[in-house]
Amino acid sequence: MNPMIRKELRQLMRERRGWILPSLYLVALGGVAIFVYFQTLQMHVNAVRFLEGPDIGIPLFLALLYTQLTVLLLLVPIFSAGALTIEKEQRTMAGLLTSLLTDTQIWWGKFLSSLLFVLLLLVAGLPVLSLAFAFGGVGLWELFIVTTTTVVILGSMSAVSLYWSSVFRRSVAATAVSYASVIVLCVVSALLYVAQEATHRGAAWANLPLRARAPLLANPFFFLTLSLTDPRELYPEWWVSAAIFVLLGTVAVWLTMRNLRRNIDAG
Amino acid sequence: MIEVEHVRKTFNGTQALDDFSLRVKKGELVGLVGPNGAGKTTLIRILSTLLLPDRGTVSIDGTDVVRNPASIRRVVGYLADQSGLYQDMRVRELLEFFADAFHLQGTGRNDALENALVRAGLESRAEDFVEGLSFGMKQRLMLAKTLLHSPSVLLLDEPANGLDPIARVHLRDFLKELNSQGLTILISSHILADLEDICTHAVLISGGKNVVDEEGNAGIALRQAGRKPRLFEVELLGGAEKAAAALATMPGVQVLEAAATRLRLSIDGPDERIADTLRILVSAGITVTSFARRGSGLEQRYRAVFGGNS
Repeated sequence: MNPMIRKELRQLMRERRGWILPSLYLVALGGVAIFVYFQTLQMHVNAVRFLEGPDIGIPLFLALLYTQLTVLLLLVPIFSAGALTIEKEQRTMAGLLTSLLTDTQIWWGKFLSSLLFVLLLLVAGLPVLSLAFAFGGVGLWELFIVTTTTVVILGSMSAVSLYWSSVFRRSVAATAVSYASVIVLCVVSALLYVAQEATHRGAAWANLPLRARAPLLANPFFFLTLSLTDPRELYPEWWVSAAIFVLLGTVAVWLTMRNLRRNIDAG
Repeated sequence: MIEVEHVRKTFNGTQALDDFSLRVKKGELVGLVGPNGAGKTTLIRILSTLLLPDRGTVSIDGTDVVRNPASIRRVVGYLADQSGLYQDMRVRELLEFFADAFHLQGTGRNDALENALVRAGLESRAEDFVEGLSFGMKQRLMLAKTLLHSPSVLLLDEPANGLDPIARVHLRDFLKELNSQGLTILISSHILADLEDICTHAVLISGGKNVVDEEGNAGIALRQAGRKPRLFEVELLGGAEKAAAALATMPGVQVLEAAATRLRLSIDGPDERIADTLRILVSAGITVTSFARRGSGLEQRYRAVFGGNS
């Protein structure tokens, strides 16, 4: 096993956040599940037809899904953006770079350990997400595709945060810029799409030019939404979004590897 | 062993090393001496593969530092200026991590770990967290970590910074011991008395360039395994003539000056002879209040060379 991964995980799990964050995360998901359940019941009090399982299962699943992605996107910079800056801050980077660990091992250790913690939260949340099964309307396929989509998004954002960690010397700066990157992808991309779409008023999604659709294809929430569409309609757009996130992550990895030894110069 | 030839390194337009050359033979303990910003840290970082030189060649044991950094890391132990440790790891965990990082395996790994704990004097604190150790203990742990993979070359950048006097004495003795075991050591430090005590040579550097002293020497010979006579100043409560007479027949000992309460001696030969000299004085009924070694003048030479810019 890569010694970096073992070291990183050991240090991470030793911190207080190692158990506080999973606990808070599950409480948040549980809270959302209870809220959606009772809210749905409330909405059907005066309904003409009887409330059926999928009437609760589908909104529950969607609410949990988007809550999960929101929380995890907020947590990714906390773990990844400080991964390399902490080595610079505590002056341990030189020890790593003069050992026989390769640059790839150092990067992979940092990436995997921070991603594994976020994935731990994702896995811990699966039973809560699976509550929707009890009500119906949601199957294993939906659970699989949304989990895969979420992993791709988180992997990509983790690589981007790690890149910022290689650029800056201080964790505060790297974390701030990582959050800015999350905001750009989640909010700015949506605003850009709205602006573009306004110039093509009334046009269907398929008829919009690629320039107009492109910002939304790089939006994590839209990517997640794409995974919920009918599998027969899903693939072309889902694959484009997936490719964008994989490309973003790959570029971030390449730039991080280039930067790994660069900030030693002035030190 | 270490060969640096005409190396240049620039940071954002500032010349950190400018045509600097250095040669350290196998088994030597060489001090790198110069004012702040002289280029000492840059040179050591190039040797440790952390930095690439802009021009010139750097090799250790015949291996080019730029072309084959992985091979260099196998034979070099590098202790950075103010380097840190993982405070939230236990002492043993930290050593295990670096043992794995240097690909140590099997019994060799276990032996290296135990040796490191003994070297650091932390056998009884192996399960303690690093953050609970004193500064001196952390420095010993860092040195033990640096030696974990049994390097043949040790690069030390200001290792005595922040150490208390006792810890400094321990560090000096430890480095002398390592050097006597055949380890080649390059050390940068501002504490000239320490360098004078332990180094075989000192190399002067300023503005990234080689500097020669007033006698035209680029390297200053300091300690040459007992071959060079050492100077001592002895303070007495009277009886200098009697003391000089007591030492007159002692081989390798020459009385250079005998004032009323002071003797200046030159002692040639092994370290035991120094102890014997003091013993003879005490046996002869002389009351010795101070017995101090006088250096070979590194500080004076440093002042003569760098007086204006240090």
